[in-house]
Amino acid sequence: MSDAALFGWSSTAEYCTYLDENDKKVGAFLSRTGADEFQSALERSRSEASDRSPLRGMPFAVKDNIAVKGLPLSCGSKMLETLSSPYSATAVEKLQQAGAVVVGKTNLDEFGMGSSCDNSALGTTHNPWDVARVAGGSSGGSAAAVAAGMVPFALGSDTGGSIRQPAAFCGTYGLKPSYGVVSRFGLVAYASSLETIGIISLDAQLLRTVFDIMRGQDPKDQSSRPFSPQASEKRQGEKPRIGVITDIEGLAPAMESAYRERLDLIRKKGYEIVEIELPMLEYVVPAYYTIASAEASANLARYAGIRYGHRTDWADEHSELTEKSRDEGFGDEVKLRILLGTYVLRSGFKDQYYLRAQKIRTLLRNEILSAFQKVDQILSPVFPTAAFPHGDAGLDQFQQKLADKFTATANLAAIPALAFPAGQSEGLPFGLQLLGPEFSEHKLIDTASEFTELWEPKTAPGFREWR
Amino acid sequence: MYDTFIGLEIHIQLLTKTKVFCGCSNNYGDEPNTNVCPVCLGYPGTLPVLNTDALFMAYQVVGALKCKRAEAAIFERKNYFYPDMPKNYQISQFADPVGINGEVIFPFQGEEHRVRIHDVHLEEDAGKMIHAGDMSLLDYNRAGTPLLEIVTEPDLRSGEETEAFLRYFRTLVRTIGVSRGNMEEGNLRCDANISINTHGAGLGTKVELKNINSSRFVRLALEYEKERQIGIVEAGGSVDQETRLWNENKDITVVMRRKEESKDYRYFPEPDLPPYRPGEDFFRRVEESLPELPLDRQKRMEAAFSLTDEQASYLCEEKARADYFEAAVAAGSEAQHLYFWMSGDLAALVNKSGTPLEESRLSPEKLATVLRLLDNGAIHGPIAKKMVALLFEEEHDPEGLIAERGWKALDDTSKILPIVKKAVDANPSAAEQLKQGETKVLGFFMGQVMKETGGRADPETAKALITSYVKGEIV
Ligand SMILES: [Zn+2]
Repeated sequence: MSDAALFGWSSTAEYCTYLDENDKKVGAFLSRTGADEFQSALERSRSEASDRSPLRGMPFAVKDNIAVKGLPLSCGSKMLETLSSPYSATAVEKLQQAGAVVVGKTNLDEFGMGSSCDNSALGTTHNPWDVARVAGGSSGGSAAAVAAGMVPFALGSDTGGSIRQPAAFCGTYGLKPSYGVVSRFGLVAYASSLETIGIISLDAQLLRTVFDIMRGQDPKDQSSRPFSPQASEKRQGEKPRIGVITDIEGLAPAMESAYRERLDLIRKKGYEIVEIELPMLEYVVPAYYTIASAEASANLARYAGIRYGHRTDWADEHSELTEKSRDEGFGDEVKLRILLGTYVLRSGFKDQYYLRAQKIRTLLRNEILSAFQKVDQILSPVFPTAAFPHGDAGLDQFQQKLADKFTATANLAAIPALAFPAGQSEGLPFGLQLLGPEFSEHKLIDTASEFTELWEPKTAPGFREWR
Repeated sequence: MYDTFIGLEIHIQLLTKTKVFCGCSNNYGDEPNTNVCPVCLGYPGTLPVLNTDALFMAYQVVGALKCKRAEAAIFERKNYFYPDMPKNYQISQFADPVGINGEVIFPFQGEEHRVRIHDVHLEEDAGKMIHAGDMSLLDYNRAGTPLLEIVTEPDLRSGEETEAFLRYFRTLVRTIGVSRGNMEEGNLRCDANISINTHGAGLGTKVELKNINSSRFVRLALEYEKERQIGIVEAGGSVDQETRLWNENKDITVVMRRKEESKDYRYFPEPDLPPYRPGEDFFRRVEESLPELPLDRQKRMEAAFSLTDEQASYLCEEKARADYFEAAVAAGSEAQHLYFWMSGDLAALVNKSGTPLEESRLSPEKLATVLRLLDNGAIHGPIAKKMVALLFEEEHDPEGLIAERGWKALDDTSKILPIVKKAVDANPSAAEQLKQGETKVLGFFMGQVMKETGGRADPETAKALITSYVKGEIV
């Protein structure tokens, strides 16, 4: 017994029906593996994966900017709506070898640019807690699929908080690993030096299992690194010393009081809480957008209507072909960031913007590393608000960007970060985030599990338990 | 009255087995779009992986050009749009090329000239566009193949000198074995920049020349451009900074783009390729792999084997040729005699058959044996020629061949004389002409004798016998 039945369904068909029904409300998926293919993948998993693999026969969802051979790789964009990937991402291959089975590709803000999922050109994803609200972004489809109980875990990608913010909005765990620990091969590049493939799950131990399978140096990704946790193992068995940032201006009032309450609970349980200062935090958002846009302007240059993706119906020459294909294929946010990135790299502007952002990045990283001399982990909110209603009613696009300050820090500093459910505030989930030194993923998961025991977060309405 | 300043940007295709950032075959001339994969087609989500063989060759060139080498290979993205460039950026080097500040010393008109090297950098090539009627087709086989760009300082002075430099440069890269270095085949490509100025006044306004695809065109284009610029200045005008193309049908240069259209490549560090540090062992292997430079070898061989400048230059033009020569000398051949054979009969055989010397069946040792047999009179010239031609194609033992084919030299007068008599007696009018002093006819009789003896007759003996018999000195 090692197909979907193991996880609470009597048959694959029943599971697929459940997915269909549930996704009508949530809209987490952009494409799904057909029922027959899913069934044969399960059978393959049963015969090939080890009996002892905890992922044998386990379904999972993949954000649609991560390649799975033979499935679409739309990136939430009209530009790539028709693309079928000719290969699989290394992370996906590793999970498949361990017996996990892809059930579909999830929605995202176009090319990972956004924090609501409303920037997808191909579908609308709703928050399972309240369908009038966004799931967060850009990995909103993956977070919603997990929160709604459609899959036990899902892959996302995190460039400036794209896993952690939707995880917080949907009340799940979301791990952004240390840069380079999970191969980026197969992740459609948006901002190469910042992004990483990560995991969304409601089960901290499953999160750890999936991470341990996916991580490791990959010959196909030269920026990948071996996972070497030794450096952070010195205080084994002891309760970690938790640093908190004193400057948390800008939190929504309900979030701020929830955050203070959680801090008190943690302190009462005997954790040492140390106030730390991170003055560089003020520059995180502009530095992040400068670097991300610069890299995006190069990474997205390949979409020219020539080899793959959207091609305009008619053009007289090459430049017209490119212009029209891009104009028709890209959404406004993508165009904005490409233009911004082109601007900050222009000669005469590069010193002022791009190179200055790189200096800020170095200073921020040094500041964070020296903070880890004093504390083991840093606790902060994930996002200043809970999930906002569709249509940006809560925050305008500019505010959404400013709000990335807590999350983008980890991407600039290349360190791991974990969002975890911290309970509910006014009926919506509320998340906290732990930052740790490079390779401290396991310790972050340990701490977050201990914390969540203090308040036992709920699951979304209609959620069906796995196992 | 005018100084001319010419600098070059030379691109050479490196002879690696696979492309520079993926595992696809780096083979020219295959069916279009057969040597491609998601990585070299720039598919979404793919990443480059550095081919260290390409880096090894890059560092070999850096060493041969006496550049200061970079301890790490650092790549940047060069952003520009071109339909045959899959990612619309090129992975190249900018701020930290693999080598800087080198030099090339090359022979020109009997002197040694020097060109300084600004830098050497490694990059990926683009694909190829094929225009067919109102359609444009794309072949991506070349996309991602390793290209080494060598940028010189403006140290060259004329089209002729530039042509000589390129010829030497070709020999150099072929000697190292990193490229075929052939402009006509497109594996050595070259852009030139040229400026003129009144003598002593320093560099003038630079014009870039693109699209010159043979070393002859390099010379013609530069000479044309030099005269064009001088003409402008003489007429009181000033030269525009622009990029021009060589029109090989009209033998003129034409404007391609002006300065104000110049490109901004928006370089920034390639985030997918962290700096690669090859390490001490790698650099030691690079140094050990470097052969003697062609000019050094030429000078050494001139001195060691008493060759003329021209002779040594011919031999060192191809490393394999110089190696062959030295091996044959080591096997006992006399240098001048050997040179005569190599530049004559052997060169003709190579030309005719298309088989490179080093791939023929005739080893340097066998050639040395043939020359020894010729020297000690065991065979005569015409037989040696036959033997060399045969040994070039087929596997034989030279000494065995003599016995097998009855090729032993014939210098016994009593055997040659009857043949001479027969030839002369059969051609009385020719005999009469020879008798009257028309020595041209001697060749005719020699031919007859050689034909009759299968080329084995000793030419001196035969000549003497013919002359004497015609004059009636012998009967
Ligand atoms: Zn390839």
